[in-house]
Amino acid sequence: MKRTNESKVAPVASEDHVPHDRILHDHHHDGIDRRGFLKCMAWAGTGAFCVIKGGVLSSYSLGFPDFHKHAAQGELSFVQISDSHMGFDKAANPDVVSTLKAAVDKINALPVQPEFILHTGDISHLSKPSEFDTVDQLLKAASTKDIFFVPGEHDVLNDDGKQYLDRYGKGTQGAGWYSFDKNGVHFVGLVNVMNLKAGGLGSLGAEQLEWLEKDVKHLSKSTPIVVFAHIPLWSVYPQWGWGTDDSGQALSYLKRFGSVTVLNGHIHQTMQKVEGNVTFHTATSTAFPQPKPGEAASPGPMKVPAEQLRTLLGVTDVNYVQGRHALAVTDSDLA
Amino acid sequence: MKPRVCIFAMAVFAIVLGIGGNWKTYAAPADAQSAAETAIKIDNFSFTPATVTIPAGTTVRWTNRDDIPHTIVSDDKTFKSKALDTDDQFTYTFTKPGTYSYFCSIHPKMTGKVVVQ
Repeated sequence: MKRTNESKVAPVASEDHVPHDRILHDHHHDGIDRRGFLKCMAWAGTGAFCVIKGGVLSSYSLGFPDFHKHAAQGELSFVQISDSHMGFDKAANPDVVSTLKAAVDKINALPVQPEFILHTGDISHLSKPSEFDTVDQLLKAASTKDIFFVPGEHDVLNDDGKQYLDRYGKGTQGAGWYSFDKNGVHFVGLVNVMNLKAGGLGSLGAEQLEWLEKDVKHLSKSTPIVVFAHIPLWSVYPQWGWGTDDSGQALSYLKRFGSVTVLNGHIHQTMQKVEGNVTFHTATSTAFPQPKPGEAASPGPMKVPAEQLRTLLGVTDVNYVQGRHALAVTDSDLA
Repeated sequence: MKPRVCIFAMAVFAIVLGIGGNWKTYAAPADAQSAAETAIKIDNFSFTPATVTIPAGTTVRWTNRDDIPHTIVSDDKTFKSKALDTDDQFTYTFTKPGTYSYFCSIHPKMTGKVVVQ
């Protein structure tokens, strides 16, 4: 679950500008300037600044002038990163180290330093020890030292998740699920990538569901809840396995709460949905994009021109304003 | 209407067969020499062909052509591969007649069947 980086890296001073349209590196040396990137971003659709109040989501374009002032008003902010796929080296992104580095730089450049980072799985591509080591090393450069993980299916290959638990599972239950409280917000990390059944989707399983029911039972209904797991907990596109078979059961335990935010990865693109009191949000990958549902023969890595890649990768910044029970979810790309 | 659907279905079937045949000669020339081996390709998150019918004693060779790892796991756990990276292969020799359903344990929507006669 939680990993606190030991190294003392001085936090990067806050910068009073909008970082989403800044070029962090020009690794391809392709001469694409900021304007060129912005053109690409217009093509890609770079996400939105979102405010959730009472389960209703309002979104603004990233060009919203007061965007960062608003973000800075919260009493709790954190960042979600996802799908680093360390070890992936195919054409869709032969340099996943650089793009994860860019994500860390982006986090360090935020005007308000987040209290912690959530990684929603697929840390590695093939569950190799060296891949986990590389990610751990790169994340040490983040000025935010507290990092919470949940596994993706790529992190539990070949050993039923034993290595993942050894590395990230301290203090967790079962296959690595857990909860914690921060500034009045209850966070729940769920594992839905284990014991998958033929023909099925992601799965939480009876043991974890039982634990979840007990975990939230004692909470008052005004407690804001943030649930994070790798595979989406809503049916994004079941034909491609983008959903979780027993997520309905999990969400039934959260019905009585006024504000529930569900953060997922897995699909390597931003998607949002509001259903009653629950707002669902998926994050982009730091490694490679995947196609929109049904717009390709399969959900495999999407190859895009090098200069467009970073506009399709990114980090998610989440900000909680106490008293308003509102979470603002902001996606920014790595360009 | 019905005959037309039939003709269409046969055409699709013929196309599928055609693709399967071409791939064998392209991807696994060595396998073609062995009568007791059948190839299944993993491409675009699917097993092709999704169902193979083979005589007992045949070895099935799966090859992953995707940029994403996949596994081959039988529903009853009779056989189970490690995660196959791009171009990795897994073989299993079927000695007993029966129908063996299998799937990718990472992407369980991917399913296939081996019918051993």
